[in-house]
Amino acid sequence: MVPLSWYLALSAVLFTMGAVGILIKRNVIAVLLCLEMMLNAANLALVAFSSFFQQTDGQLLVFLVMVVAAAEAGVGLAIVISVFRNRETLDVDESHLMKL
Amino acid sequence: MPYQAPLPREYYALMPEIAVSITGIVIMMYDAFAPKGSRRGAGYIALAGLVAAGVSVAYLWNESIPPAFSGMLLTDKLRLFFDAIFILVAGVSVLMAMQPLDDERLPAGEYFTLLMFATVGMLLMGGAGDLAMLFLGLETLSITTYVMAGYRRGDLRCNESALKYFILGSFSTGFLLYGIALTYGATKSTNFLKIQQAIASGQITYEPLLTIGVAMILIGLCFKVATAPFHVWTPDVYEGAPTMVTGFMAAGPKAAAFAIFARVFVQVFSPDVPNAANLAATWTDAVALIAVLSMIVGNVIAIQQTNIKRMLAYSSIAHAGYALVGVLARDWQSVAFYMLTYAVMNLGAFTIVTILARQGDEKTELDDYAGIGFHSMGLSVVLMIFMLSLGGIPLTAGFMGKLVIFKQGWQAGFHEVVIIGVLNSAVSLYYYLRPLVVMFFKERETPYVPPKVTAPFYAALAISVIAVFYLGMFPNRTLNALEMNNASKDAKAPAAALPAGGVR
Repeated sequence: MVPLSWYLALSAVLFTMGAVGILIKRNVIAVLLCLEMMLNAANLALVAFSSFFQQTDGQLLVFLVMVVAAAEAGVGLAIVISVFRNRETLDVDESHLMKL
Repeated sequence: MPYQAPLPREYYALMPEIAVSITGIVIMMYDAFAPKGSRRGAGYIALAGLVAAGVSVAYLWNESIPPAFSGMLLTDKLRLFFDAIFILVAGVSVLMAMQPLDDERLPAGEYFTLLMFATVGMLLMGGAGDLAMLFLGLETLSITTYVMAGYRRGDLRCNESALKYFILGSFSTGFLLYGIALTYGATKSTNFLKIQQAIASGQITYEPLLTIGVAMILIGLCFKVATAPFHVWTPDVYEGAPTMVTGFMAAGPKAAAFAIFARVFVQVFSPDVPNAANLAATWTDAVALIAVLSMIVGNVIAIQQTNIKRMLAYSSIAHAGYALVGVLARDWQSVAFYMLTYAVMNLGAFTIVTILARQGDEKTELDDYAGIGFHSMGLSVVLMIFMLSLGGIPLTAGFMGKLVIFKQGWQAGFHEVVIIGVLNSAVSLYYYLRPLVVMFFKERETPYVPPKVTAPFYAALAISVIAVFYLGMFPNRTLNALEMNNASKDAKAPAAALPAGGVR
């Protein structure tokens, strides 16, 4: 059997990749993928803990997360489309009408 | 076989959420069948639904209801008081949006539906008794708010605001969720009561998991309440979003995130729990640092702003810093009271900004306010009331909120943080008074046409002004409802505990 720590290490790696990706990627679609990666890293950790504890709590939470992630991706893509229609670019750096 | 009531008792605890959800669905149906061009009806349905939710909150206030749905939903004073705030915020937001939606020919049905579902999310956050429910409520709120932030689809600033809010909001959700996963891994449960029991009985699987998990939950929540150094999205999102949405975002989601702050950090990871002293000390230090940073960053940058929406965005960062003092003092009542005062004065200020901004939010620069003081006397005086209240002038709600929260912070021994807070609120008066100076004492170069103020705006302003003075001059009733006046410091422990029982 694969020990719990391997799953956790993989999920930590996925989470870090997602978080770093959001900060450095310039294409909105890539950013969306990174967001999904962060959520799925958490899902992996939840499932791993859940099966390690022989419980269902964590797995149920994963279902909720999947539903929420789908809704979030739907809204995210809708926002991306409306930005693209007005601007004709997917580069997040181009969105700088307002300055800090 | 025991008698079965028509509805299981648990459903009574869910009444406000059910009322608001049904309202949202009814508005969608109404919008599909109503004649084209009728926009006001949806708003009135929303108001009716919110009144029903308000009545059910009032009904639940004196009931003692055990945790419902296997501890998913807690019903106590914390939940109900915050629920009342959310319903008030949603109601004023509906009133604030009716006229602008009409003027700009934006779809009203979808707007009010989204607003209702955002309110459901906030209500679920207030009552969350489980990390799963917390996550679900937060996401219901966030996803609807992302759409609302980009509601003016053809407007580039609006698009940009929605995109930034979406990316950074989801980023923070990722942190929160990972924190939830790690906390679950450490305590073997997502239920607040069981988490507390696991900590108290020392059954933590691996201590660092819990510390990292709590830290990540803290980061996720700090993004949501917009505290420095997690505030960078706030000014852009607040500036770009339609003003009525900004008003809602500044008051509602912030209060909801503070409800969770109070629940998770004041109650669950409280130092009163055996074996939690280390954990509590760690988060207390972190929160103290974040509070001080937010106050300073918010106020210092607000001084340099020339756009009133950006200025109010930075002011909201500073206010989040003040409210965190109540979390530090481990006194959720003062946080709740502060959020109520902040919500009414902020909604009022944004209502005025909406009225003066006209169609498409074009006039939000401070220069647009030059010399309007004597042309639109009423609006200017009311804006002055809200600005003075935000700055914390006596007799207004803002003063009472700050007084209560700083008093609790001082008593809990956070003297440095309180002193920095008081100094900061003195600094903040500078930028709160500037719009007033511009309005009354600066010559106007372009011609000025006073805006049209209609009944819903009057209603929103009347509610806000009355609430500002009521909370500022007669706060006792509200504070008594929160059991703040009669509870001495040592009698507070039971009030700060999670409601127990009924958890399987």
